[in-house]
Amino acid sequence: MSAVPSPPGQDSYQRIKVNRDQCTGCRLCLQVCGMMHFEGINPKKAALRVEARFPDPGKYRPYVCTQCGKCAEACPVGAISRDDKGAYIVDKAACDNCGACVAACPFGVVFQHPDVPRVIICDFCMLCTEMCNTGAIVPWKKSAGAEEREVARG
Amino acid sequence: MVVFFRAGSELRHKLQPDVDFYTRRVETQAGKSVKDILRDIGLDPAFVAFIYVEGKVKNLDYVPTEGQSVTLQPPVSGG
Amino acid sequence: MARGFAGTTLRVDLPRGTIRRLPTDEALFRRWHGGRGVVAKICYDEVPRGADPLGPENVFIMTVSPMSGCLIPAGSKVEFGSVSPLTNGQGDSNMGGHLGPALKFAGYDLVIFTGISPKPVYLFIDDDVVELRDASSYWGMRSLDCEKRLKEDLGEDFEIATIGPAGENGVLFSCITHDFGRQAGRTGQGAVMGSKKLKAIAVRGSRSLHVHDQAGLTAYVTGIIKRTQKHPNMEPWQKYGTAFFIRWSNDNGVMPTRNFQTTYYEDADKIDGDQLIEKCLITHKACFGCWMNCGKYTKAVIPGKPEVHLEGPEYETGSLCGSNLGMKDINHVAYINWMLDNLGMDSMSGGGVTAFAMECFERGLITEKDLEGRSLQWGSVDDVEHFLDMVALRRGIGDWFAGGTKRAAEKIGRGSEKFAMQVKGQEMSGYDGRWAPGMLLSYMTADIGAHHNRSWTITVDMAEGRESVDGRAKIVVYLQHIRPLMDTWCICRLFWGELDITPEEIVESLNLITGWGVSPEECLRTSEMIWNLNRCHYLERNKADGRTFDYPPARSWEDKIPTGPGKGKGVSRKQVEQMLDEYYAARAWDAKGNPTRAVLEDLGLKDAADNLERIGLLGVPIPGGIPAVRGEKYKPKAF
Repeated sequence: MSAVPSPPGQDSYQRIKVNRDQCTGCRLCLQVCGMMHFEGINPKKAALRVEARFPDPGKYRPYVCTQCGKCAEACPVGAISRDDKGAYIVDKAACDNCGACVAACPFGVVFQHPDVPRVIICDFCMLCTEMCNTGAIVPWKKSAGAEEREVARG
Repeated sequence: MVVFFRAGSELRHKLQPDVDFYTRRVETQAGKSVKDILRDIGLDPAFVAFIYVEGKVKNLDYVPTEGQSVTLQPPVSGG
Repeated sequence: MARGFAGTTLRVDLPRGTIRRLPTDEALFRRWHGGRGVVAKICYDEVPRGADPLGPENVFIMTVSPMSGCLIPAGSKVEFGSVSPLTNGQGDSNMGGHLGPALKFAGYDLVIFTGISPKPVYLFIDDDVVELRDASSYWGMRSLDCEKRLKEDLGEDFEIATIGPAGENGVLFSCITHDFGRQAGRTGQGAVMGSKKLKAIAVRGSRSLHVHDQAGLTAYVTGIIKRTQKHPNMEPWQKYGTAFFIRWSNDNGVMPTRNFQTTYYEDADKIDGDQLIEKCLITHKACFGCWMNCGKYTKAVIPGKPEVHLEGPEYETGSLCGSNLGMKDINHVAYINWMLDNLGMDSMSGGGVTAFAMECFERGLITEKDLEGRSLQWGSVDDVEHFLDMVALRRGIGDWFAGGTKRAAEKIGRGSEKFAMQVKGQEMSGYDGRWAPGMLLSYMTADIGAHHNRSWTITVDMAEGRESVDGRAKIVVYLQHIRPLMDTWCICRLFWGELDITPEEIVESLNLITGWGVSPEECLRTSEMIWNLNRCHYLERNKADGRTFDYPPARSWEDKIPTGPGKGKGVSRKQVEQMLDEYYAARAWDAKGNPTRAVLEDLGLKDAADNLERIGLLGVPIPGGIPAVRGEKYKPKAF
């Protein structure tokens, strides 16, 4: 699967690297993401997710946006476009919450919530990485040529 | 020989950090235990319950090696 | 409504299978703060004094606090409470994980279950949808297996709490399990759930919580994060959890060894924190909103047995099921932990009951004939496995032990009461009190029996003198006020208590969330009020002077420590009496251990004073009046 190519001269988008063995499932990332983008405290409004796999193998696994662009490709009304940080931004006026992007996301990190009239996609504000105390999600700059899928899943 | 002591809580004030907020650089001789080094720098070992060094919990009889960072732990309040 | 609250309380009528929604009573929470306080008040008001704790008149409560889920670090706890079948007094127990916050995100602050369901049920909560669902296909399942099945059936993002076969069978020290390894272990809350035919609770929530000052709270929490992320005190906690205590406890001669026969274990290095991390660790596991991640998710690998996964053993289980049972392999200790979790029994009482049975076997008070042809030897994981099965299913003599060591000793007799290591029916925590008299006093006077969490004094004893008891009582009283505040607010004291965060700062966070503007002094008084209410409740149910129930097992003063750093040490009976005298004076109770009207009315508990007076158990007035403040604030010194 090939990634949406970077525009010319843009080889260092802000990204998040996942070191999944470090995740302890504290969900602070979900709390701060929800809080910083919406009124109140609500982990279900976060733009990333933490999968718990118990009792076997007994590990947590964070999933974050990899900027693969599948959401933008899938959007029938062209409501999703890339900003200069590399993040895929949802045009609130244009999005009708149809959920095509949710289905298209290979990592399940496009979200819908009953109280929110549009989809939720990571804007790479990076606050989750500031809250994470274990190094499970860390800031990372994509260097030219690095394989998208491999690095992003961690 | 140089070792680094780290501490939080009131222990930190007694330690008088000089490298960063938590850390003090200590000149000492090889072969001395943490207990003896503490006495040498004027910190009563009675204030330290145990130490944490290179990922392991040890007692104060531990003899540090060159350049090691030793975290001094105050009495815990229970578990 | 003050901020922080979800807003709705549920009353579940189990016989009828109906659920009522009510607005959360803010006045109740304002006065009692939440968690343990709300549990104490509701139990006192709603459970008739003669009610059988496993009968229809007991209530079963699940609650949190206005702080739960509100970004607050380690605001993860959910509190359960009822009249305890183990102690016959008010009982409460909490656990971390993610259930407490999920309850708030679903929209609820408090759930009160009444009566007994005619059929096995589980409570299903998915935001607005609240139902009692048929649990007959889950009844009989072991706890961890049941949680896995419920997540498969309902969805991975449901937070689940279950009981195991032990709770279903009324083993009096049954626990509630959640998140594949957290337990609300003490006081037999699992038995109360089982008596009500309530197999599990499943919660998913997607609502938002709103606080009084979100910007202030965010700045406050960010400050705490920055201070604690690199805090040197954090390091051993993050790596070992409380398992690093094994070595410390042993070196300091308080390690429970072979049913508290001695306090130094010669094989501690086979079951300590390093063994746990090196041999068993799979992942570090955190509760909601906590980066201490003290949980250790581990595997127990024993040749001939299937590999099992569990959370733990943490210190209490590691000692009470480790040195206390003579175990010589960390995998064996972990396996016993897993057995207790899956069968649904408190690992602390489970260790204590097993150790008691092992000593009975050693002395010939029970034999292989009683144990279906098996032995029960120190250090045998296979013997323990067989024994715990008998207890969980109440098979044969297992039925005696299913009532805890107190009731088992009553059945066995022949002097076994001396080494039934319990107070008020609940088994002792993992520290021997003979060379830590403040700890012994803590066991004697805790509202729920020989439990350490109300006041933990080992380092106080070390600083103030391990062989003297003078002045210890006042400190115990203070700790019994400050520590249970964590259970009232449903926050975890490991995070808040070990990293230099002051009580003033914790109260500040409560105010940022609720807007209440409470002071630390008011919070301490609330805690003292809860303590006294629980004491009154205990006396009203057990109908004798309080002092009657406040003694430790006779081993505590008859047997000096035989080996190790504490060899030869021990308290005397005279010292035990002295500690009680000083304790009651410090609490403004009379010499028989009964609260006086003066202290009860000072705390706003006139009705409780009237109730005690009616049954002749109100404390005799203290000449000269009562102290204005009970308990002496303690600043740890060196030791």
